[in-house]
Amino acid sequence: MGERVVILGVGLHPFGRHPEKTVGEMARVAALGALKDAGVEFKDVQAGFCGHVVQGVGTGLRTFGEVGLTGIPITNVELACASSSRASMLAADAISGGIYDLAMVIGVEKMERGLLSGVGGAEGGYQSKMGITLMPALYAMMAQRHMHLHGTKHEHFAQVSVKSHRNGALNPNAQYQKALTLEDVLNSRMIADPITLYECSPTTDGASAVILASEKKAKQYTNSPVYMDTWEGGTPQYVRGQSDFLEGPNTLLANRVYERAGIGPEDVDVAQVHDAFSPGEVFLVEELGFCPHGEGGPFVWEGNTEIDGRIPINTDGGLLSRGHPIGATGGAMITELTLQLRGQAGPRQVKGAKTALMHNAGIGGVNVIAFKR
Amino acid sequence: MSEAATERKQVPLKGARLRLGDSPALLGSRCPQCGEHFYPPRYVCLNCFHEGLEEVALSTHGELYTFTIARAALPGTLMTPPYVIAQVRLPEGVSVATVLTDVDPETVRIGMPLELVVEKALVDSEGNDLMTFKFRPAKEA
Repeated sequence: MGERVVILGVGLHPFGRHPEKTVGEMARVAALGALKDAGVEFKDVQAGFCGHVVQGVGTGLRTFGEVGLTGIPITNVELACASSSRASMLAADAISGGIYDLAMVIGVEKMERGLLSGVGGAEGGYQSKMGITLMPALYAMMAQRHMHLHGTKHEHFAQVSVKSHRNGALNPNAQYQKALTLEDVLNSRMIADPITLYECSPTTDGASAVILASEKKAKQYTNSPVYMDTWEGGTPQYVRGQSDFLEGPNTLLANRVYERAGIGPEDVDVAQVHDAFSPGEVFLVEELGFCPHGEGGPFVWEGNTEIDGRIPINTDGGLLSRGHPIGATGGAMITELTLQLRGQAGPRQVKGAKTALMHNAGIGGVNVIAFKR
Repeated sequence: MSEAATERKQVPLKGARLRLGDSPALLGSRCPQCGEHFYPPRYVCLNCFHEGLEEVALSTHGELYTFTIARAALPGTLMTPPYVIAQVRLPEGVSVATVLTDVDPETVRIGMPLELVVEKALVDSEGNDLMTFKFRPAKEA
């Protein structure tokens, strides 16, 4: 074990549609917010990591440059929807290894309206010509399989979106701050059975920033640190005879994190999971060990993932309601869990939260992080 | 223009690994060391890391592993919603991402037997037929 890592500061630019704002402006708001939150001056930051997906060459320097040109190394990190959580893990690796004492992550994205295309879409071949790369279809096919094997109902998935929007209504940084009923979700336009429009995360503009420090350095700034305790990243593994299309080995990574953090799923007080589409939360409550395999539908339906439930999930509205500016999402997940562990989540606060778990998935990999205070 | 018609060739659509002709089939890979099959074809075996897999024609029959009905389409696709996106499991253990044809989407069920269909997708700028593949409910044997 190296140096313990502290999440010293977090900041967001509100998520939503901001066609009038540049990537630099949004990143600056998030970055200045995180610096102020941490009580850190940018000139003391030793390294920068920028999570983004489609903002182009040099986005790291362009965004960090909004708050200063201090000559530090800045690295761009792309892991699709999990870019800024992976950027945070790289910063934490460097701090843990004693290379830096203070590092900063910016996550940022501006997105077009409309449906996202998944892997292979850009090459214009069979998959895109035949309309297979539709992102909701990937989750929809996993959902159909889950319904077939476990009797999960569309209502179970839809309830995830109802809960997310209820939480989003409590979050001033969320893209959607309006509660929806189960009927609203079920009756919205069908996109890819069983996923309706309100079960899809929106495309979003926004930015997040996270300041990470070694425990020693953090002592100069805070007496009650939130620790980024343990983290694991991974990619899909080929297993003969299995052909599921998970973005990575979620259960394996979570179990490694639990073991190294000395906790079990029953010790997690609040979690963020990747609900790009509503079935995501149903799959993940199982894969992260919060309920037995196959029981995710009823588990969510019965309210166990509500703010006052057994394991509150996506208290800020999740991808579905807070919004999903893909490069900024991981940083927003870390932001919410940090606020929860500090007791600063206002009307979304989970009482007495001490241990938190983050799961962020992108095409090309998965990140799981445990936080403690 | 009968002359043009006789010169017209059938070519697989980019990314569709197909054997055309009298007995059309998907062309995948088989590992000569461990016997694992893959579609699309690849060079290194994911199971045993053997290099240099053999090209092999895959079974034209399989069953539906999972599916969805797409009610919206991305720009550039040839499909008109609603259409069925499917994962088809072949006897070799391979899963193929494809679409279904000749079926009422509302009647599609996981586990249903399916068979390969090869058909024209487009005509390219040189007048060749670009051939694609789909699956449809298997005809009774």
